[in-house]
Parts: sequence; structure tokens; C-alpha cells
Amino acid sequence: MSVQEQDQDQGGDLSAGLRSLCKGEAPVPGGCLPLLPWDRFSAWLHCVCVVGFDLELGQAVEVIYPQHSKLTDKEKTSICYLSFPDSNSGCLGDTQFCFRFRQSSSRKFSLHCLLDQFDRDLPVYLKKDSAYYYGYVYFRQVQDKTLKRGYFQKSLVLISKLPYIHFFHTLLGQIAPEYFEKNEPFLEAACSDVDRWPPPVPGKTLILPIMGVLIKLRIPTCHDKPGTTQIIQSTHQMGMQISIALPTVHEVDLFRCFCPVLFHIQMLWELVLLGEPLVVMAPSPCESSETVLALVSCISPLKYCSDFRPYFTIHDSEFKEYTTRTQAPPSVILGVTNPFFAKTLQHWPHIIRIGDIKLSGEVPKQVKVKKLKNLKTLDSKPGVYTSYKPYLNRDEEIIKQLQKGVQQKRPAEAQSIILRRYFLELTQSFIIPLERYVASLMPLQKSISPLKSPPQLKQFSQEDFMKTLEKAGPQLTSRLKGDWIGLYRHFLKSVNFDGWFRPRRKEMTQKLEALHLEALCNEDLLFWSQNHTEVETVDLVLKLKNKLLQTDREHLPVNADTMEKLQMHIDSIILALPEDLQGILLKTGTT
Amino acid sequence: MALRELKVCLLGDTGVGKSSIVWRFVEDSFDPNINPTIGASFMTKTVQYQNELHKFLIWDTAGQERFRALAPMYYRGSAAAIIVYDITKEETFSTLKNWVKELRQHGPPNIVVAIAGNKCDLNDVREVMEKDAKDYADSIHAIFVETSAKNAININELFIEISRRIPLTDTNPSSSGKGFKLRRQPSVTKRSCC
Repeated sequence: MSVQEQDQDQGGDLSAGLRSLCKGEAPVPGGCLPLLPWDRFSAWLHCVCVVGFDLELGQAVEVIYPQHSKLTDKEKTSICYLSFPDSNSGCLGDTQFCFRFRQSSSRKFSLHCLLDQFDRDLPVYLKKDSAYYYGYVYFRQVQDKTLKRGYFQKSLVLISKLPYIHFFHTLLGQIAPEYFEKNEPFLEAACSDVDRWPPPVPGKTLILPIMGVLIKLRIPTCHDKPGTTQIIQSTHQMGMQISIALPTVHEVDLFRCFCPVLFHIQMLWELVLLGEPLVVMAPSPCESSETVLALVSCISPLKYCSDFRPYFTIHDSEFKEYTTRTQAPPSVILGVTNPFFAKTLQHWPHIIRIGDIKLSGEVPKQVKVKKLKNLKTLDSKPGVYTSYKPYLNRDEEIIKQLQKGVQQKRPAEAQSIILRRYFLELTQSFIIPLERYVASLMPLQKSISPLKSPPQLKQFSQEDFMKTLEKAGPQLTSRLKGDWIGLYRHFLKSVNFDGWFRPRRKEMTQKLEALHLEALCNEDLLFWSQNHTEVETVDLVLKLKNKLLQTDREHLPVNADTMEKLQMHIDSIILALPEDLQGILLKTGTT
Repeated sequence: MALRELKVCLLGDTGVGKSSIVWRFVEDSFDPNINPTIGASFMTKTVQYQNELHKFLIWDTAGQERFRALAPMYYRGSAAAIIVYDITKEETFSTLKNWVKELRQHGPPNIVVAIAGNKCDLNDVREVMEKDAKDYADSIHAIFVETSAKNAININELFIEISRRIPLTDTNPSSSGKGFKLRRQPSVTKRSCC
């Protein structure tokens, strides 16, 4: 599809959406309830907060928009602390960063079913996590002699379930500076714009009008080929930007983030893959959050399944839980800026210290991994502090390629693409043997017998899997040598393996159910029932009805034809039964 | 055929019918009980003009005073501005003149300005004479039409005229003499902004 066509499609959609909003209809496919004011807003944002500094109260939420948004006191406290840089980091001027916090009470809203539907089409690493919110922050700190404190300090914060980091970063960059100039009417207008946006449907080019500018973007789907991005064009007019096209909604600038630790990227990939406790100590929340997000995304398309906090403070409600010395450090990635953490997290096995990230992308000369005991004070040198021995030998090629890029002044975007492709190939080489083995756990088609229960999936056996590696291991796609077996053994014990395997098993079980259903449909069930007792026939009808309900409930991958056929079978069997039974069976388990 | 995206904003006092004009143009419908706009609403419509497609990106701004300070975001980068007044309310015509002044001072240099005297179906209660408005529009080289969003009078014509006055290519906007050259008006006394 060409750029133009996509563009026009969307224009049409947008006005259709507006039309139906005004007429109070539900314009979106599968909409379970009619749309109410703020429903469209809720599909993108939970709320917008303004956090300021009160001389007596300290950080305080000054404004919440829309006013009816629900936040618990605990959540408000988290937002307050997480929306300001820690006191020691200077951050004069404007700073953007992001944080993530635990939702403290469950809540539902009318669009839930709709968003769940979008969620199904998203790549795993973009699916939303119902227990967490993201906070996207634009913080301004400037000298202001008219204020008692001598400084103007304020944050505009977007609270959302969506992990579209780059998109929200761009959005805030567009609206926050104007907000600080124009205050409340601006916020009202901006939120009203968001409330007219089309829903975040994966795979569609969306055009989002915001305060005189259009943001064009496309949310990826699980069907996209990994590593491809779709480019859409920006429009300028009269030398001014009237639309901004985002090449990505979620990706971070990988090269810039990994630049300070370039020599260790492969080791960091292993640590993230294995879900090892990692802490990033950075000079400001901007660097801590970018680095944590880069780490989490380096194992894409695998989903990082443990908790991660791009910016974590000593006030966080999970502070005690995560820093306790009575247990081993948890499987989380934390980004911190407060020097206090250098002491609190001294016992952590892997610590990344970064200095200021330079835009020029200067590569540090330091190659060696540092010993943990050297990290005691906040003035410790940048680097990776760990005693971890990587399983795989280091790939010198990628380091050389990136260093050459720096010398040749290759643009940062190009460096990031190279790095992203490198990580993608590494992750794919690692995961393909697992995919292949797990696919072999599926019973053979011929073992499915329509009138017996569907066969079970074979158990995952670590030893069987290891045996497959000899012939079909990562050596087929990766030239990297090292202890792959050791890496797999470690991985199979990790949260990330569990998080990868569980949905896969569920998917395969559903596939089996679907195949079984198809086999049932192709059977002459009426003939079968004529050769069996009434009791057995009634039992069959009830089972079939149950199947139909289950298919609907669990969204089994069955086509409509099969469903229709099965319903016809049921109806014809019932009709062949005595009348009294017919009445009872037609009433039970209405499909 | 080339597709051009043209940002257009509507400015003017509250209640003069800015949203109704856009609705008539985009949807060809009219609702007498429309709610006041918050901030601005956005709609698009693509029309053919000669051998080009013009996709109008229409920012319909709120007329209410509290949103006044937001206007620059909508006329920034605009190829055209439609300033609307209500022919039955004299004071809305004064507001229009203030908008022209603001555009002169802060708007894009080659912006095409169109003046729409809306509600021309209410001739009985007219307060602004067509000739006065036309003379004023001519004096600033602006497009002028009297419109009725309710009776669909002159709405499409308004946008066709805008298409006609838009400079031929984005890359060389000064080559066409049809633009509205606010900065070159001899009567304008230069004021520094802010």
C-alpha cells in the first residue's frame, strides 16, 4: 500500500470517527458499549498530571486532567516523587524521561474489551501489563527570581498503560513547552484533542491531531516481520512543520544508550535474557530511563517478563521489597540516580554506571569489566561492575563495525539500526532451536480422534531439548562460539523462559482443540448417534454444546464454517431424539 | 496527480458559525444545536483543483476568549486562514479586524486570508453591510464571501477560491502574486513582537 493511500484511508476514518462521536454511536469494530466522552481519551491515556513544588508540602500533584480520573493516594505519591529528578541531579532547563509504577488498585473502564482486542494483535513486547502504568515526564527547571524558591520547577506527566515510549516522548515535546506558557486552557484543549483520536489499532496508520500539528504513526502488529520499520513522511509548509511522522512508536535510540557500555553489550544481552538483577546508576532520570528501556528492548522480539523501573527512587513503594538484604536481589532492572543507592544496592551482582551520555557518541576506551568491590562511592568510574562470566565468546565484529561507524561519523540512527539488527539476530539464533523443539511437542494430526478427548501436548523435557542442539542448535544461524548449552540451561530456569513458553503452550493447546473440533465436524455424527444409546447421544450433544461455548469464550482459532457445521450437527441430532428430550436439550447451554 | 496537504485554520468570535461552516464543507450537514468547540477540532477534506489534489487539514478553533492565546498554534504553518464573522452582529466584525491585525504581526508571511460573513440567510436582522465588509476585504487583498452554513450558500466556493489563491508549489511560494502579502502593506506600522 502506498503512503498516499494509507494516508487517505485514515483521513476518512478519522472523520467517520468524529461523526459517530458526535452522534453518540460506537464507530469502532467490536465496540462492546457505546462510546462515552473520555472513552477515546482513555484508550490512550489514563490521565495527565501537573506536578509542582510547594514550599510547605514539597512535590504535589497540582492538576489532574480529566478531573474525574481515579488515582489512589499511593499512586499520587508515587507520581509526585517519580516526576521530579532526585535532588542531586542538576537538570537545569528541560528534561524528559519516563518511569513505571505499580497500579495500586484494579479498575475497569468501558473500553476494556476493545483494548483487549487490540492487545491480541500486538507483538508480545508491546502488550500492556495490567499491573503497571507508565509515566512520561517533561520536567522544566528554570531560574525565576519572582518565586520564593528562586526556581520554577514543574512537570507535565502523561500516565498511560501503553509502552509507546517514542510516541509519548514526541507528544510531550510538542505540547509541554506550550503548556508551561499557556496553562489550563491549553491542557483542556490538548486533552480534548486526545479525546477525538482514533483508537490505537495495531497495523493501521493513525493520524493524531494535537494542538495544530498532526502526528502520523503506525502501531506494530504481531504479524510484522521483526526488524522492519515502515517509513511515513512528514509534511512541512511555509517552513513550519504541520505534521510529524514517527518511524517508530516504541523504539529507543539503542546506540546512544549503549554507547557508554559498548564493549559489554553482548554480556548485557545475556544478563537481560537470563533475567539477572541489574541496576543502572546514572546522573539523571533521562539517562537512567533510556538505558533501562534499551536493556529491556535488546532481547526483542522476546518479552522481558520481570519488573523494570526506568527511574526508581528511595520513595518508591517497592523500595523495601527490592532492596532488602534478607533475600537474594530480585529479578528486576532498576534505573536510579540517587547516590544513596550505591550503598543500598552494593550487594547487587550486576551494576552499570554511566556518566553523561554524549550526543556525539564517543566510545569509551575502557574494555575491562570492573570488580564489584570497587564500587563503593558515588564518584566511581562509569562501566559495568560484575563478576559474571558470559557464556558466549564476545563478537568482536560488531564492536569493530560500530567503532568504524563512529570514526566515519555514521549517523546515530544508522548505528542504532546496525545494533538493533545485531541483537535481533542474536536473539533469533537463540530462540529458533527452542521454537523448533516446542513445535515438536505437538501430537501428530493422525492421533486426533474425533470421538475421544483431544490428545495432550508432550511435556517439555530439558534433556530432549538439549539433544536437539547438536544438529539444530544456534550454530546454524550464528557464528558465535561459547557455552550455548550453559546459556540455555540457565535460561530455562528464568522468568523470561516461563513468560515465553506459557503463552506458546496455551496457543498450541488451543490449536489442538481447534483441530479436534474440525475432526468432529467431518464425522457423520447423526449416523454415530443412531448406533448408540440415547444416554450416549445426549452426552455427545452436551459435550458438543460445551465445545461451542468454549470456542467462543477462548477465541479458539476455528473458522466460522466449522462452527456452523457443528451447530448443524447438533441440531440434526437433537431433532432425531424423542420430543421431550428435544425440549430439554434445546434449552440447555444455549450457544 | 499530486497530493498537497494544506493546513487551514478558522478564526473568529464565538458563535459566528466556524464549526458549522466546516461541517457543511466536510459532511454537507448542519446542526443548529452544536456545542462550543474546546481548543480546536480537526477535520480533513480532499478536493481536486486543476491537476492537483488539495487535502485541506482544517483546524476549527474555539472562539471563546479563554482559548484565545492558543490561536498561534493553529495559524502557525497555515496556508490559509478563514476569518468568520456573523453578519447579524456588528461586534463580531470588530473581532475579525483584530484577527487580521494579529495575523499580520505573527502569522505566516504568505498566508491566504479569506473573510466569511456567515448567517447571510438572516438578512432581516443584518448589522454588517455587505459593501462595508467587501471594501475592507479588498483593502487587505483578502477573499470575501457571505456564507450560510445553514442553507449551504458559498461554502464550497469559499474553499475553491482558497485553492485558487494558494501559490502553485510549496518550494517557491513567492513566485505567485496571488498570496496575501500582509508584510508589504504600506499602512502597516512595524511592531516588534511581544
